[in-house]
Amino acid sequence: MVRRLFAQVFLTIAVLGPYGLARPAVAQDGWRTQPHVEALAADALEGRLTGSDGARVAADYIVEQLRALGATFLPGRSDFRLPFEFTAGVNDAGTLLTLDAATGWNVSDNVQALSFSDSAVAEGEVVFAGYGLVVPDSQDFGYDSYATLDVTDKIVVVLRYFPEDVDQDLRNVLARYSGLRYKAMAARQRGAKALLVLTGPRSPNAGLTIPMTFDTAISGSGIVGASISGAVGDALFEYVPDRSVEATQAELDTGNPHVAGFQIDGVRLTLDVKVTRESRSGFNVAGYLPPSATPVSSTDGKSYVMLGAHYDHLGLGLQGNSLARNSERGEIHNGADDNASGVAAVIEAGRALTAADRRRGVILAFWSGEELGLLGSANFVETEAVPTGQISAYLNFDMVGRARDNRLALQAVGSSSAWHGLIERANVPVGFDVQIQLDPYLPTDVMSFNGAGIPSLNFFTGSHTDYHRPSDDASAVNYEDLDRVARLGTIIARNVANRDTPLDFVRVEQIEPQGQRASVRAFTGTIPDYTAEVEGLLLGGVIEGGPAAKAGLQEGDVIIEFAGQSITNIYDYTYALDAVKVDELITVIFMRAGDRHEVTMTPTARP
Amino acid sequence: MEGGELEMRRRRAADARTRMYRLAIAAMVVGLLGPVVTGQDGDLYTESDFLTRTRRLTIEGKRAGEGYYRPDGAKLVFQSEREPENPFYQIYVLDLETGDSRRISPGHGKTTCAFFQPGSSLIMYASTQHDPESKALQAAEIAFRESGEERRYAWDYDPEMEIYTFDQDTGKYTRLTDVRGYDAEGSYSPDGEWLVFTSMRDAYNRELTSDERKQLELDPSYFAEIYIMRADGLGQRRLTDVVGYDGGPFFSPDGSKIVWRRFDETGLIADVWTMNLDGSNQQQITDFHSMSWAPYFHPSGEYIFFASNKLGFTNFEVYIVDASGAKEPVRITYTDGFDGLPVPSPDGQVLSWTSNRAGGQAGQIFLGRWNHNKALEALAAAPPRRTSGNQGAAGGE
Repeated sequence: MVRRLFAQVFLTIAVLGPYGLARPAVAQDGWRTQPHVEALAADALEGRLTGSDGARVAADYIVEQLRALGATFLPGRSDFRLPFEFTAGVNDAGTLLTLDAATGWNVSDNVQALSFSDSAVAEGEVVFAGYGLVVPDSQDFGYDSYATLDVTDKIVVVLRYFPEDVDQDLRNVLARYSGLRYKAMAARQRGAKALLVLTGPRSPNAGLTIPMTFDTAISGSGIVGASISGAVGDALFEYVPDRSVEATQAELDTGNPHVAGFQIDGVRLTLDVKVTRESRSGFNVAGYLPPSATPVSSTDGKSYVMLGAHYDHLGLGLQGNSLARNSERGEIHNGADDNASGVAAVIEAGRALTAADRRRGVILAFWSGEELGLLGSANFVETEAVPTGQISAYLNFDMVGRARDNRLALQAVGSSSAWHGLIERANVPVGFDVQIQLDPYLPTDVMSFNGAGIPSLNFFTGSHTDYHRPSDDASAVNYEDLDRVARLGTIIARNVANRDTPLDFVRVEQIEPQGQRASVRAFTGTIPDYTAEVEGLLLGGVIEGGPAAKAGLQEGDVIIEFAGQSITNIYDYTYALDAVKVDELITVIFMRAGDRHEVTMTPTARP
Repeated sequence: MEGGELEMRRRRAADARTRMYRLAIAAMVVGLLGPVVTGQDGDLYTESDFLTRTRRLTIEGKRAGEGYYRPDGAKLVFQSEREPENPFYQIYVLDLETGDSRRISPGHGKTTCAFFQPGSSLIMYASTQHDPESKALQAAEIAFRESGEERRYAWDYDPEMEIYTFDQDTGKYTRLTDVRGYDAEGSYSPDGEWLVFTSMRDAYNRELTSDERKQLELDPSYFAEIYIMRADGLGQRRLTDVVGYDGGPFFSPDGSKIVWRRFDETGLIADVWTMNLDGSNQQQITDFHSMSWAPYFHPSGEYIFFASNKLGFTNFEVYIVDASGAKEPVRITYTDGFDGLPVPSPDGQVLSWTSNRAGGQAGQIFLGRWNHNKALEALAAAPPRRTSGNQGAAGGE
């Protein structure tokens, strides 16, 4: 599962063993899915990082399995492999900021490209634009850092985050508009040539440049931007009579929207951003089982049912999305549950489907680049590797190897009104305690297909202690239940393939409100449980010694209010987390065994 | 019907407590149960001692419940709201091997409480399908729901409700009762020869006093009594004669007893009772001084499942009690929300019950592997039954 959508929540947490249950019994021989998981999660494949040799070996294994079960190439193709290009990394290749002939900064301690910046040179006068925030009028609160400024063809300097001293309600509003990309876009829309971001002395991470992250680096943005150190900020403010950075920030921190920015007279800057993006190729793997029974009416147009799972993982976990403990850094992230388990389920479902009547063709797809941001499935949809309008439904399997207590989450059920009935019918003989979740906006490849208007369904057995760690091993997989997941997928796929009428697609409204979130900077040590859909935030656990643990929260608690914000879902929680102040006491209200409890908690700064 | 009846009980109880329970009512809007209070019960056991591999069986539709097995255990008949044209329950048969389900009621009107006749192709259920108003009532209910208004989900004890059979071989419907007043909640004897059921006909077949007329307006279930008839509908005979709702009767596995639940006059307290087929030997089996209802025998005949809200107004849990009620009941379910309407499979190895533990929706049917030996062990270890000092009135002999 990719960590993009919930990245910020996950980053503030680590994943612990939900429910405190013992792992499934040691895997027995004889489960059909077991050899696949063991082959793909072997150390020799070195964690199957997209574009790596290990991923190539994994793809070879999958191709071999497709051949063995009798799958053919996709219609019009001559290979099981479907290559795509992607950005494998982003680096600052020597960004330089020059004040005058004598003063230049080029070390990363003082200036660092923003990870989404283009490589380009910008030169111009300098305007300090406060926090660089633009809050749309629809928020019943006007805040526009550019209201009194002309920044056309100038370089804008803004503070990172949002005013530090505002009340909780205002924090909730401002936090949404304080993301770096959002600020960069606001500056560009006002005509600025470039954006410089300074972390103010009154904020966490004071005076530090902003590390380049991979998450936002998938493509350039038409923006030229860099972060600057406190020393650079101070040097610029030497041109501002009678004002220090700190005093200026303090005034802005009141949140008074009438505190204006100003031009820094007598300064011209040259910003030369140099960013390198490494382009590499990865490939999806896809096989095809043509119809074996009288095909559905040609006027139907929905010729395919598709089952898919991503086969890539994190390699050695050096790309920033590993949750390895310090003692495990750099070890092979085997990714047995994430997502050798899903690959095994699709292979075995495909094998079972070869023997079933199929009035629609079945596509078996194996994605790469999922962990880097759903790259493979997005490419498949964008390039119409098969016409997306002809896909009647997409079944996705991501992390299906750790079933506990007979529970299986079926997600994205809201994407078609037909899913409830299809699930009920298929699950009667299979017998999972299914947890129905409607939301299709999931951090997995379902996102690509739901976005293309295809009814989608995601199979998921829940997060666990070993998530995105080297300990996600084949020995911890519950193969008995993984075989049952494959069986459930087989029956649903067969019933979709043989329906007279295609499934309807229902576009589910996305809960996430407008704006872009700031990067979360508060750490609470809560671990959301994504397998259950409850009113509030259900905790799968808390990190030992973290603020939540200290406050007495525990697994099974449902947070319903956080720092004055009512919490009905994960998104509410993420925004509430964005808005809290580090090291200040907040109140958390939660339900435990039906009783309402109130505790105080002090979030700490995220590392 | 039991699910609806339950809602009715809750509502009445809340009203009777001088609107103290506004919040509790709000939580019950449209059958959506809010968080409940779990009481401390000195618990000796956990749910997994008795139930393992628990799972949600029904998924489609707004709500489902009252799943009763065919005697060979291969099929389940249940009621569900799952078709957009009808906002009321219809009756479905689910094949437990294939997962295929099929509606057996005609699709219009209100239906409830189905039961397979042993040894035949008939399924008995209660229905208003003959009521010329039934389609208009459906349309009115749909319009009401679309209006966005909400009200408490309530069972209305429609006096048009009559008992029918459906023949799975011929598709023929046969009406067995024809008396004004709600006739429902039927079940067959193990030999298939007899039907016990609940009827409110006593409210319509005689002159009521003015107090009784007020009572009828407030809640017709006050007049509900247990009746027995032959499987062809002949020989209808009344077995109980105590004010308050007597309902939900089922035969014991050997066919010698009837188990049912009896509400007191206020409609707040209910207990499980047993009696002989002629109405004699009426015995109170439970005494929690709470709402204990929906009894059903385990096929061993050793003990009776039932549901009670002993631990909180909206927190129904499943219990078992020995067949004679000598011992204190043993709690089975330990999950927040509603757990009720327990029905064991004919081989006694699986328990089917209705729960809203999946959250967010009204009740659905769940299954779990039943640990019969643990149940016997727990019953043997249970202390003698405590009494609340509120013994229900025995009568009707």
